Amino acid sequence: MTGFTDDRRKVIGILALQGAFAEHRTALEKLSCHRRLEVILVKTIEDLSRCDALIIPGGESTTIALLARISGLLDPLRQFVKVKPVWGTCAGAILLSQVVENGKKGGQELLGGMDITIARNGWGSQLESFEAELDVQGLNDPKRPFKGIFIRAPVVLKLHQSSEDHPIQVIAQLASELLPPSFDSSDHSDEPKNFVALRQGLHFLTTFHPELTDDNRFHDYFVRECVLGRS
Amino acid sequence: MSPDMSTPATSTAAPAALPTPPVPQGVGSAAAPTPLPLRSAKDSSNGIGTFGVKSGLAQMLKGGVIMDVINPEQARIAEEAGACAVMALERVPADIRREGGVARMSDPDMIKQIVAAVTIPVMAKARIGHFVEAQILQAIGVDYIDESEVLTPADDQYHINKHGFKVPFVCGARDLGEALRRISEGAAMIRTKGEAGTGNVVEAVRHQRAVMSQIRRASVMDDEELYAFAKEIQAPFHLLKETARLKRLPVVNFAAGGVATPADAALMMQLGCDGVFVGSGIFHSGDPAKRARAIVQSVTHYQNPKLLAEVSENLGPAMVGLTIDDNLKGGQFASRGK
Repeated sequence: MTGFTDDRRKVIGILALQGAFAEHRTALEKLSCHRRLEVILVKTIEDLSRCDALIIPGGESTTIALLARISGLLDPLRQFVKVKPVWGTCAGAILLSQVVENGKKGGQELLGGMDITIARNGWGSQLESFEAELDVQGLNDPKRPFKGIFIRAPVVLKLHQSSEDHPIQVIAQLASELLPPSFDSSDHSDEPKNFVALRQGLHFLTTFHPELTDDNRFHDYFVRECVLGRS
Repeated sequence: MSPDMSTPATSTAAPAALPTPPVPQGVGSAAAPTPLPLRSAKDSSNGIGTFGVKSGLAQMLKGGVIMDVINPEQARIAEEAGACAVMALERVPADIRREGGVARMSDPDMIKQIVAAVTIPVMAKARIGHFVEAQILQAIGVDYIDESEVLTPADDQYHINKHGFKVPFVCGARDLGEALRRISEGAAMIRTKGEAGTGNVVEAVRHQRAVMSQIRRASVMDDEELYAFAKEIQAPFHLLKETARLKRLPVVNFAAGGVATPADAALMMQLGCDGVFVGSGIFHSGDPAKRARAIVQSVTHYQNPKLLAEVSENLGPAMVGLTIDDNLKGGQFASRGK
């Protein structure tokens, strides 16, 4: 990360208002293509204006949205989401959704970007947080399962009708028997509640936390497919 | 504080030869590491209550403010002000100090009302060593338990064995040895003890400086020195060695005890804390909602003095502070539990 300048280097911002943003930076810096990236923490409008792509980390979605609003970042973020690659993990996935259920009393602010409905704290309290192996598609070495860490994780409830040019792709699924009992879908393995990693165009979401594991295949996927792939 | 601590690797593998950029201390300075394999190996096989999900929730709280609340209304004010979690309790530490008597776990019904009122995580306090209070709190579904010296200790020798619980624990510590003893008992998050209910940040600063100073010393020791140092600070060797390698505590570390202003919160962040607990400081001040929001902003923008000045303006009176000496009413909580 010395001072060499290369026009082809892409600036990936990590929204650093609250949550586990440092973990994402560590994961990105371990990628084999990290020399083609510059990773910055985004706390202000000026930071955001430098970015070619953005990661919204895990944390509390209500806290992140409030801090974004106070900092005047909410509208710039909504504009950013419309045109540039964005990946949301957990709280970030909630912010990237079109509609949230089980949200804060009085409603909470979202950025949109993915045509889905998501439920906050879909599994319940921290006592229901869990680790599980996931089936993945499109990652490097897809035969190897990915250890998903789900912490008070959201559940994807519904995929909205999406336009032809931006279909929603399923990147990772959870076994049906691991779904919370209130979402009984054991007969419909293709229901969205099993979907824990989705891609729509340049947007990517995971309801779990790849940044908490040593396995950086999701970071590799986002950088390869959504960030570097479009230059 | 020197701003040049390098970012530790998160894996248990040897750090790669990647150049790590100089970054400031505190939140964002360092990714909290993935859990130590020794303990996660013993966790239950169904993936619930593993050390990974326990310490992982603490990682999601980083860069945030956890606020003491005594009823659902205060919990809603805290959530609207941007708290990343609330601590449900019957009396804030300043009142415990003033009223005296034995302070115990709160009424489960009150805690359940607060859980129902907000979407953010809810923590609750159990007395040191009172594992039945902890069982009760787990049964009603709190997200985190604080085994806290603010309540009257139930056991003057032993802390709770926290490995057996599915719910994660946070514990207070005054120095590195105490922090590592609590982690070895299963704590998934550490906070400074400070001196709760005083509005006086001096003890929290002392504890955080003690932890950071000992970590810096340990980080340049060889194994022979680490064995002797582990004995000196009464810490398990394997945890001390891991701490020395990471150059930070192996779990998330918050500030607590005496934080009353946005500047106090930013001070603790610049001293290397990952986030801040505010107890009596918010709802014992003149304008709780405004002060709460200001402290939330100060923790995010702790390195931006201009913004800190803006958010510190016109907050109304802060809580009345107390001098910490032998005459402190209610005594010094930090000396409870070793």
